[in-house]
Amino acid sequence: MNRLVKYYWKRTMRSRLAAFGLVYIIILVIVAIFGPFFTGDPNAVNFAEKNLPPVGFSIEHSVYDIKSGEFTTVVVKGSLKHPLGTDDKGRDLLAMLVSGARVSLYVGILATGLALIIGSVIGVTSAYFGGVVDNALMRFTDIMMTFPFFLLLVLIVFIFGPSLNLIIVVIGLTGWTGTARMVRSEALSLRTREFIQALIVLGSSNKRIIFRHLIPNVLSIIIVTATISIPGVILAEAALSFIGLGDPSVASWGRILNAGQDSLDTTWWVAVEPGILLFLTVLAFNFLGDGLRDAFDPTK
Amino acid sequence: MREYILRRVIYAIFIAWGVFTLTFFLLRIGPSSPADKYLATLVAKGENVEELIAAVEARQGLDKPLYIQYLDYINSLLHGDWGWSFSTSMPVMELIKIHWKYSFQLILLSMLFAVFLGILIGVYSAVKQYTKADYIATFFSFIGISIPNFWLGIMLILVFSVKLGVFKTYYDTSLPMFSLANLKALVLPVITLGTGSMAAYTRYVRASTLENLRKDFVRTARAKGLPDRVVIGKHVLRNAMLPVVTIIMFDLSGVVFGGAYLTEIIFGIPGLGQISFNAIFADDYGVVVAVTLIGALVTLFFNLITDIAYTYLDPRIRYE
Amino acid sequence: MRLSRRRFLRLCAKAGALAMVGSLGCLQKETVPSTEKPAIPQVKGTFIEGTSAGDAETLNWIFAADQASFSYVGYTMDGLIAYDNDLNIVLRWLAKPIEVSDDGLVYTLTLRDDLYWTGGKQVTAEDFVYTYKNLMFADWMPFNYKDDYREDVDGKREFVEVRAVNKTTYQFIRQTVDPEFLYTITDFWAYPKHIVKKYEGDLKAFTQAEELNNLSYTGNLGPYRFVEWVRNDKFVLERNPDYYLGKETGAPYFEKYIVKILGTPAARHAALEAGDITSTVIDPLQVKKFKEMEHIKVYTNPTASYTMLLWNLRNNGWEGFKNKRIRQALAMSISKDALIQSIYLGFADPAFSFIPKPSPWYVEEGLSMYGVGGLYDKEKASEILAEEGYEQEGGRILDKNGEPLKLTIITNSGNKVRESICFLVKQELSDIGIDVELKFLPWATELNQYLRNKVPGSDQPPAFNNGPDAVSEKPWDLLVIGFSTDPLAPSGSSTFFSSEGGLNIEGYFNPEVDSLFQKVKTREALDEAERRRIYGELSRLLSEELPGDFLAFPASNVGFQKNVMGIEPGISMGYNYHEWFFA
Repeated sequence: MNRLVKYYWKRTMRSRLAAFGLVYIIILVIVAIFGPFFTGDPNAVNFAEKNLPPVGFSIEHSVYDIKSGEFTTVVVKGSLKHPLGTDDKGRDLLAMLVSGARVSLYVGILATGLALIIGSVIGVTSAYFGGVVDNALMRFTDIMMTFPFFLLLVLIVFIFGPSLNLIIVVIGLTGWTGTARMVRSEALSLRTREFIQALIVLGSSNKRIIFRHLIPNVLSIIIVTATISIPGVILAEAALSFIGLGDPSVASWGRILNAGQDSLDTTWWVAVEPGILLFLTVLAFNFLGDGLRDAFDPTK
Repeated sequence: MREYILRRVIYAIFIAWGVFTLTFFLLRIGPSSPADKYLATLVAKGENVEELIAAVEARQGLDKPLYIQYLDYINSLLHGDWGWSFSTSMPVMELIKIHWKYSFQLILLSMLFAVFLGILIGVYSAVKQYTKADYIATFFSFIGISIPNFWLGIMLILVFSVKLGVFKTYYDTSLPMFSLANLKALVLPVITLGTGSMAAYTRYVRASTLENLRKDFVRTARAKGLPDRVVIGKHVLRNAMLPVVTIIMFDLSGVVFGGAYLTEIIFGIPGLGQISFNAIFADDYGVVVAVTLIGALVTLFFNLITDIAYTYLDPRIRYE
Repeated sequence: MRLSRRRFLRLCAKAGALAMVGSLGCLQKETVPSTEKPAIPQVKGTFIEGTSAGDAETLNWIFAADQASFSYVGYTMDGLIAYDNDLNIVLRWLAKPIEVSDDGLVYTLTLRDDLYWTGGKQVTAEDFVYTYKNLMFADWMPFNYKDDYREDVDGKREFVEVRAVNKTTYQFIRQTVDPEFLYTITDFWAYPKHIVKKYEGDLKAFTQAEELNNLSYTGNLGPYRFVEWVRNDKFVLERNPDYYLGKETGAPYFEKYIVKILGTPAARHAALEAGDITSTVIDPLQVKKFKEMEHIKVYTNPTASYTMLLWNLRNNGWEGFKNKRIRQALAMSISKDALIQSIYLGFADPAFSFIPKPSPWYVEEGLSMYGVGGLYDKEKASEILAEEGYEQEGGRILDKNGEPLKLTIITNSGNKVRESICFLVKQELSDIGIDVELKFLPWATELNQYLRNKVPGSDQPPAFNNGPDAVSEKPWDLLVIGFSTDPLAPSGSSTFFSSEGGLNIEGYFNPEVDSLFQKVKTREALDEAERRRIYGELSRLLSEELPGDFLAFPASNVGFQKNVMGIEPGISMGYNYHEWFFA
């Protein structure tokens, strides 16, 4: 096994882009896990320091006097205390983005994980048992596939209220169909292979064959799908936030972006910073996913 | 073949019923009510909220038992009556008839943009594998895939409409559909919606073309001395398209109900996306069910088309 | 219990979303330079009003409950009256001011005789009487505001009597006195009896009737005529050449009037800046930028809505709130100036009671101004808390059980201003040792689980005020919410602050407040000086009692392209919108 990992590792790292993606993701994970211990409290408000620009930038702050009809304007400069600036409540954006990384990764990994588990189990079961089971499961997969995914997501989140866990569960429960089909077809071709046939003849239990042999063998697909799905999920959460259905109690990148998008021409950094992070993260996962796919592809 | 299609149609009806039932009950068991959206303002204004909720629900027939609502609904659907949309005050079908074309033109143009450019760049990139052009194409396709489309849309408006003044800041529905002005008005929305798909297709086409370039029949064709143009145009492309068609069909549902909606919001296009999502927020379940159902039927239809297209693209596939 | 509709906001909202954010006028009375008004305005151009407040639901207005629907219909039909910049009644369909009998029971309204429906049939008193009696009050009609027209007679809720006197005159006859009923009866339009009669009793037919849904009956009744309504996109009107107020002046002066729906505030701002729309509401952060633009002018208008911090005085809120001195101490630690400056960027007036400054019933004298000047004093607040038994220990206030006090503040998610206020309250209260936890909830959740209440164990249906023993399903301590006051008829606010009030969410019960609200509904209060005294008293009492902390009356900003003329940025901007024109 170890040799196999090494082999694929080498193949993956052949692609410079994939290597970059991996490095970025590792850094992001480290930042998400340990970062919050170093940055300040992302929820610490300080209205005296609101809308501070990032270091190196400056901006005018104006307050209207309703009695005189005049504006009082001061020029504010970014400071090292808040290197990435602050939002309209004076919260430190660096701290918010770091804790937002946690949220976005949490959503991406958990929802994808859930979808993959459901998809693999359904796909492998379907392929392994065939016949009626296969038919029923695949018909169900068809119904789920036919459902407009984003519409369903919005519908459920709207009806039951936006909470992060609900969003994760809904994405997980609706996003497994592609995996199920792919895993099924891969497993179907595996099933006909000699060693599985041999195991069946030898009387191994179904569970054992599925979990010990079939799933590990379709693992390559699962890994690739996971890497490609995670950015999709992160973007789906951001899109939900964009239309105002993000979980209001956690500051995901999508939520921060949503809070800043109406003032892009003034306090631009509030929306631009999470936008860039979102973009880079999705890019990194795509790079890595692509590299992995190539690595697992025996024709290359 | 005919029997196969018939079977698929019956199957499609079954799936449509499943989707319909699921949507109906999802909407009706949820804690929200069509009166909810007023509550914010009503409470603020100190109005008699309880009486108003009762009035709204009575008007929409929501005070009847759930199963009766369900059966009534199916009954009227079978009679071709899609019901009345209470959040827009018009028949559901008429509403959809008016608004589908805005989505349709946006999606059609975006798909053309994505497919055309995707194939072009993808094939070029594959043929010129490992050249500078290939790297640039690859890099930009990654950027295209990774950029959130709502973000791209906002940026495009900011730059091209507000700062440069090249385009209007919103889509103008009074433009005649087949006019240059309309085409111009759709440039930014099409880029916003199409870029992601275009980039994705580029990747798939490139991979698929590369695979085919290595195949024996290509080598044979080349060995025969056929010019590259013919080899690629006739042999490679046709075979490379096969998986790409599936991807496009698979992508379509996401484009229609995900990207298109966000694009419509950003550019103020009153398409089906906006209509259906507003219906969700307004608990206008007649519209939500209809749109979901239509979405499902369209997906099923395209699945069928894909399958049939396969038989033409790949003579090895036959349906009995 | 009478729950009154705040119809004033609607009538003023003739200019739709311009006025929608609650735009009753202007704090500084900007005078319009005389050079702005050439002698004869010309008919030209298209006025495009951008809004992101959502589309209307119906033009069949008897079913409407949302602001946009009323505003759309309002372009095609003026209604009985309007209010000018000093909140005086301006006659529209009425030929003369409403006559109120000396006993305050009979209201007589006389229509102009030159109003007609499409087709030439005159608008008569009978159309109005029919609309009230056979439609609005009818059992088959789920009209949303029936209760506005009911009164308590011998313990029963009964509809008031409406009758036609002659072709243009009709009367409302009450059995009980309510001086503010005057403002209710000018609320709605009428349906043409000869058209709607065939739909009477058939709810489905009435709902779907084509004439009613495309406003094809509006004759000469408004400055514009309905052309087209593309849902979620635009509402298009054309100039009505027959407009009854335009006979001499030639008004209105726009060939077309369009309400354009724009999805987001960003889209709205961009469209105004690019000149794609004529007018829209501007967010505070953008005002300075737009004011500096050559081609844009911005007007700042006060509103009759205010934001409020309610304390849960019911049994599942912090018990400290029941003590008036503690409420005062908390109000003393929340700076209204800081709130206005950092959240509204200056575009708001501090609130101390429920009556807004532009209201004729506003009395400043004697108000307890908590949260500004000398009554913003955190040290004093800490002292009061200590005196009342809540000592600080290690910088934290301890509750009854000796645990550090932690309060929960809730508001509806998505409202960025209210969310910010929650953060500010948290910051302010942490200075006096109170820890605040934030909870942002979707409206449906907030209303059903936190605001609706019932007596535990009873089988009451949950309502917003089920009496002093009722509590909500989930506990909360502080709530940021917006209320609005009808500046001409503020007694509607009894619903928020009196014992029987249907929206007395916070659970505030004070006989003194109840009796003052009741006094408004008596014969003595027909005398305006007396009503003024009562409202003055009420304001003073509530500003000191603090059933909640009144925070601020936000102002709204409306931007126009510079070439729009004739705007009177007074107290109800838009009331004369039919006289606006392009230079």
